[in-house]
Amino acid sequence: MRRLFFGVVNGFAEIWGHKLRSLLTISCVMLGVASMVLTTGFMEGFFKGWEVSLQEQGGIEKISTTAQGVKERQAPLAAVSPGLTRADARAIAALVPQAALVSPEIEATRPRLVRGGKSFEGRRGARVLGVTNAILEINRYEVASGRAFSDLDLHDDAEVIIIGSKIRDRLFALGEEPLGAFIDFNDRPFRVIGLLQHYERLWGTYNTLDWKNEIAFVPVTTMATKVQRSDRLSYLNFKAADITRLRETVDAASNVLAQQHRGIIDFNVRTNEEQLASFASTKASFVIGGSAIAGVSLLVSGIGIMNLMLASINERVREIGIRKAVGATPFNIFSQFVAEAVTLSLLGGAAGVAVAVALIKVLSATLPPGSTPLLSPSAFVVGFIFSVSAGVLAGIYPAIQAAKLDPIEALRYE
Amino acid sequence: MPLGFEVLRLDRVGKRYPMGDVIVDALVDASFTLSEGEAVAILGPSGSGKSTLMHLLGFLDSPSSGEIFFENRPVASLNESQRARVRAEKIGFVFQAFNLLPRLSVRANVALPLAYHGSPPDDAEDRVDRALDLVGMTNRAHHKPGELSGGQRQRVAIARALVNEPRILLADEPTGNLDTKTAAAILDLFKELNRLGRTIVVVTHSPEIAAHFRRQLHVRDGLVTEGGFA
Ligand SMILES: Nc1ncnc2c1ncn2[C@@H]1O[C@H](COP(=O)(O)OP(=O)(O)OP(=O)(O)O)[C@@H](O)[C@H]1O
Ligand SMILES: [Mg+2]
Repeated sequence: MRRLFFGVVNGFAEIWGHKLRSLLTISCVMLGVASMVLTTGFMEGFFKGWEVSLQEQGGIEKISTTAQGVKERQAPLAAVSPGLTRADARAIAALVPQAALVSPEIEATRPRLVRGGKSFEGRRGARVLGVTNAILEINRYEVASGRAFSDLDLHDDAEVIIIGSKIRDRLFALGEEPLGAFIDFNDRPFRVIGLLQHYERLWGTYNTLDWKNEIAFVPVTTMATKVQRSDRLSYLNFKAADITRLRETVDAASNVLAQQHRGIIDFNVRTNEEQLASFASTKASFVIGGSAIAGVSLLVSGIGIMNLMLASINERVREIGIRKAVGATPFNIFSQFVAEAVTLSLLGGAAGVAVAVALIKVLSATLPPGSTPLLSPSAFVVGFIFSVSAGVLAGIYPAIQAAKLDPIEALRYE
Repeated sequence: MPLGFEVLRLDRVGKRYPMGDVIVDALVDASFTLSEGEAVAILGPSGSGKSTLMHLLGFLDSPSSGEIFFENRPVASLNESQRARVRAEKIGFVFQAFNLLPRLSVRANVALPLAYHGSPPDDAEDRVDRALDLVGMTNRAHHKPGELSGGQRQRVAIARALVNEPRILLADEPTGNLDTKTAAAILDLFKELNRLGRTIVVVTHSPEIAAHFRRQLHVRDGLVTEGGFA
């Protein structure tokens, strides 16, 4: 213990005595740790962003059905199918017990929301969907004030609308009460009955959940009869009651739909599970790629340390001879050099963590969403441990070389 | 003074340096015994093999032929760590070239051997102070060797050799760089240490200095001969 302490004190004196060389060694480890922490940080950031967006799209228990073109051999028969309609929603609700919630959705083709000269014009404009309350639960929307649709709203094709926070901000001045006010939706006055919660997940200054704020809901019945004048659904989403029976639910729903469509497969039933699977494979390749990058940077920093330690030994042959002459054993010399390597890699590791934190802070403020790194504690721990061990391992060979020097030869060295 | 038991014994020890096609015999068949409490001067011209002999006595080098015994054990049977331990605890060595560590202070240089003791002594600080005081370098304790004169460096080297209170003091021209007055003081110090029972071997060019020692060894072209007792 006392030896080790001597070693560390000695190590610090040496480091101070060779500021440039020590700085270079420290930089090697610093780069290794920083690149490792950043790489893992980027990966974790990517994964986390993906998971959140999956959650906000309904999680893995969500099953979505969309209309799709029929296969060529069925093309002549395509007209036989009624297409994806509200009848399908009713059929699934009635015939597929594994489906917990069924959400028929009709999207307005060219929505225009106007109020007193103000209109909503987002980059893509607002989306207006004809829905039932099921969408609130499946796609995770919260009505923050006002109310959701009533049975009466749906039954009467009521001209009522629930709007997202961004639409409210565009159409209403600050302090104006939107609830009860009227908005013209495609030239037809709709009464605002509810306001959705404001969704926010910031990547720097960009809100990746803004799409949830640029949306408005009207009853699906109103949309079908008064706006789109068609019973065709844009989406038919439902939720598996039991996540472990996801496949079974998909199969049951597919069968019901095939029957409804008289055998014409003009629909596509998808689960987020597939997205999850592709995510997992993306993740795996990311982890492999990231580990390779980190491994290379550690190797490079290890080589740097070894090189500098060897140079340092060359420079200090006489010193080693003197220490041996006054009684240092080979092990004393060995531990002195290892202690120096450890001290340097610890300093470098700490510097690397500091640099990585600073870079992540800067990057998350400037980079576009989905590509910003995360401060992950595990990345720090792993990066730190790896680089310090790289430093120690790289220090061992030079330390052995130093310990092996012959005292008289070393003393004669010029 | 009665001489104690044998400390070092050389049995036909030779050291040869192959220098390409030339072979330098720096030491040839040296055989003699050093006993506890002896004070020996080694005399000889430059290049005669005095330093070579001293390095062998201090376990710093191994002989090419013959055998050296330390306290009746063949030195060849000790491994490098064991030899280092003996150097740290029983031998003080003053190098002809001082061999101080340039980046350490005078004080740290003197303290160096104590760091390699099996169990660093509790009174390490006191010992360093005493050693510095003995050579009159207390007021320069915090200087670097580079800031000292040759004679001052020599005194620091002597202090470092004394700090571990060695049983054997091996000094290679310890007074070579000193004025007569300082040289006399160092010589008195060595005599005092010898009176206290330490074995002392000193290399010198000067017959006057050698005359202070009870035994003299002459080295000439690698041959060691007994110079008789003064
Ligand atoms: N490492 C070496 N390689 C080759 N020859 C050497 C080596 N060390 C010493 N010698 C030779 O051995 C001989 C003795 O050298 P040594 O240093 O022992 O002399 P010395 O008596 O101490 O001389 P000085 O009084 O000048 O210090 C010299 O001829 C020297 O050239
Ligand atoms: Mg010499």
